[in-house]
Amino acid sequence: MSSETQLAQFIISGITTGSIYALIALGFCIIHNATGIVNFAQVDFVSLGGLMMYTLLLSLGLPLILSFALAVLTVTAVGALVERLAIRPARSRAVIVLIFITIGASIFMRGGFKVLWGKNQMALPHFSGESPLVILGAAVLPQSLWILFITLAVVGLLHFFFSRTRIGKAIRATSYNPRAAALMGVNVNRMILFSFALSGALGAVAGIIIVPITTLSYEIGVMLGLKGFAAAVLGGYGNSIGAVIGGLLLGVLESLGAGLISSTYKDVMAFAILVTVLFVKPSGLLGYGDSERR
Amino acid sequence: MAQELHSKRAPVSLIGLAAAIVLFPVLTQNPYYLNVANIIGLNTIVVVGLNLLIGYAGQISLGHAAFYGLGAYISGVLTVTYNVSPWIALLSAVCVTALLAMLIGIPTLKLHGHYLVMATLGFNLIINIIMVQWDSVTGGPSGFPGIPNLSVGQWSFDSDRKMYYLIWGVVFVAIVLALNLVRSRPGRALRALHGSELAAGCFGVDTKSYKVKIFVLSAIYASLAGSLYAHYLTFISPKTFDIFFSVELVTMVIVGGMGSIWGVLFGTIFLTSLPNVLHFFDEYKDIIYGLILVLILIFMPQGVGVAIREKWWKRGASEGPADAARGLVASGRSESASVERAKDGAAGVAPLAVGDSKPILRIRNVSLNFGGLMALADVSCDIPDGAITALIGPNGAGKTTMINVISGIHRRHRGRLFFGETETRGLNPHQMAKMGMARTFQNVELFDHMTVLENVMVGMHAGTRNEFLHSLFRLPGFTREERLIEGRAWEVLAFVGLASKGLFPAFGLSFGEQKRLEIARALVTAPRLVLLDEPVAGLNMTESLEIAGLIKKIRSQGISVLLVEHDMNVVMKISDKIIVLNFGTKIAEGQPEEIQRNEQVLSAYLGGVA
Repeated sequence: MSSETQLAQFIISGITTGSIYALIALGFCIIHNATGIVNFAQVDFVSLGGLMMYTLLLSLGLPLILSFALAVLTVTAVGALVERLAIRPARSRAVIVLIFITIGASIFMRGGFKVLWGKNQMALPHFSGESPLVILGAAVLPQSLWILFITLAVVGLLHFFFSRTRIGKAIRATSYNPRAAALMGVNVNRMILFSFALSGALGAVAGIIIVPITTLSYEIGVMLGLKGFAAAVLGGYGNSIGAVIGGLLLGVLESLGAGLISSTYKDVMAFAILVTVLFVKPSGLLGYGDSERR
Repeated sequence: MAQELHSKRAPVSLIGLAAAIVLFPVLTQNPYYLNVANIIGLNTIVVVGLNLLIGYAGQISLGHAAFYGLGAYISGVLTVTYNVSPWIALLSAVCVTALLAMLIGIPTLKLHGHYLVMATLGFNLIINIIMVQWDSVTGGPSGFPGIPNLSVGQWSFDSDRKMYYLIWGVVFVAIVLALNLVRSRPGRALRALHGSELAAGCFGVDTKSYKVKIFVLSAIYASLAGSLYAHYLTFISPKTFDIFFSVELVTMVIVGGMGSIWGVLFGTIFLTSLPNVLHFFDEYKDIIYGLILVLILIFMPQGVGVAIREKWWKRGASEGPADAARGLVASGRSESASVERAKDGAAGVAPLAVGDSKPILRIRNVSLNFGGLMALADVSCDIPDGAITALIGPNGAGKTTMINVISGIHRRHRGRLFFGETETRGLNPHQMAKMGMARTFQNVELFDHMTVLENVMVGMHAGTRNEFLHSLFRLPGFTREERLIEGRAWEVLAFVGLASKGLFPAFGLSFGEQKRLEIARALVTAPRLVLLDEPVAGLNMTESLEIAGLIKKIRSQGISVLLVEHDMNVVMKISDKIIVLNFGTKIAEGQPEEIQRNEQVLSAYLGGVA
């Protein structure tokens, strides 16, 4: 393999995982903008997406598209439940306390997944075969194309949602200034609920589409999620465009680092980038998101 | 955010703790319990340090498992691979960890916001991956065995019981040092900065450097515990030091109660033993652990330890006045002296004729604009020495802006200011404080969760010197300075009439008392000029008159006063000189009678055609 095709190979695989990071980072951003907190349960939304897909598709034998839709719906509902049962009743609005509630919820959910799905590794079939296509001399799995396609579609839909729909605009208004939004008749609590539901959906999609090319376990989302978090910081925490760019960039850098430098320390790459960004340009590539603009 | 009250109760609690530590192994012979107790002890060391960071500096670290792990691995590798003495290895680990903490802390803690939590999260993940991957040194994922026990000469800490006394001895010292720090000048400064960063800055607290120092200290605690862990278990593996353990450590602080050392001791005992208890539930234990955590955080966000203690505080507060009286006796002599002086002043000194002496503050052609809006336009005036000067004007006239320029909060103005003989260009609030200028705030900026006394003590920050090492180890000179600060604070509290409330938390004061407390905090710096920003706004007639009397009393001490106020009753009654601003320009100055007759002033206030 020539070095150019090798490079192309690394970049394509980087963009593939980068898309996943981008989706997860978007989930972090949406909740951050609505509430000012980091939602660590995001990590488990990713796992749950994959796990539900496994159950619906393989255990129940439902068709692919139906399984996909039901899995996303389930996690969306779980996202809403996390808000409803853990965040909303909280007696304190302190950011620290809310963040640790999401951590508690995360431990709770992961414990539940372990009981329900066991500790074993599982595998999901690719969406449409595993014979690689050759693009620019690099071998590309059809699943990678699915990942790219679905990520693009989701980002497009989100953009439409936030810029054109009533609810989308209300969520944005809430993130700029919750009190003013409430005075304009926006039900702020409901917007926060929607944000959690939406983040659940995003996490689920990320989990569902990545699992065929990795393996599935009850804690698959943890490492992916933390890297999604790093991607969000890289792009500028809370900034949605930044989240997408940060995700893709992180994926590519990680893949190049693993390919060209050392695969042993592949996982260090993402977090080394995270720490470096915080030291050098803590506001991230595109600056902080909406709610931090004070 | 609550914190330990006054020091008188500490020895009792500490004696209780010491007794419990000594008695526990006598009461149980079960080695399993001793083992759990040892792990609890190690966690406590880390958590007590972490609590200083979270509860007092308001910053979260998700990297303390890594510092703990660094202590363990550096101790393990140095003693086994390089045959270094365990004690030297332990010290090396502390140094390396402190250095790393400094490297992480300096760039992230100078920023506002929760950057430290993100950086330490990344740091923990990196360190953990290195522990797993660098197997030639660390033994990789399967761990690092064969670490020797600690020993002194021939005598080795080779049993659970011996290690128990060592670990809990360290716990005891760690708690004593933490309490020492909390009840000291830097400790008060850290809590103050948590309550109001603006006010803390105005009284000379260097907030950034304190945050870094306390982060480094907490990392040292963690490293020390890590080294002990390695020598106790003689085997270490990366899994112990992963990000989840960092999360657990912070959880112990939050569940116990941020900022309460006794609370977090409870949190640590509870959460460390919980998995052992939940073992019984086997595969459901994570679910139950998560559920308990969520429920506690939802219903007792201040922490279980503090929830219990707050009941105690309420009981304690009712004992407050008695304590306060005791305090007064201690500083009685100086208090009566100041009362005497006050009496003299009230009776003897006639209002100064303006312009008699040199002005204490000269303002020359000061302009300031906020993005095109002229807040101040070419204002010049003199503030006479030893007199009460009032700055008045309709809303939006630029009065508070002027106070902020004078006290160094706004520094981008044009024009010049002279405080005494010194030009003050470029000086920040705490440098102004050092030069003898102090202020109060329009929207009361007290340190809510500190006692009234402590609020005043923070006021003396700029003029005093005790730092971290003095405070931690109670070095010579520490107590003398603390006594001096406390004595002076009581004296000033008596002067403003708040001595009986000294040991109450500041949030419990009435609004009028809060205003007086702000004045006390300004006076304790021994200023030559105090700036009072609307000292009677929002008060009823009686309270206003009391404050007016207090302001005259301040003048009688030879302190110049510049006040911004809307209440014309008070202004006309006590001022020696009045300066009137409208739309950022000075429209009049003079004695009260002149101002009352001034056409321009009347039209500015009554909305006539100027």
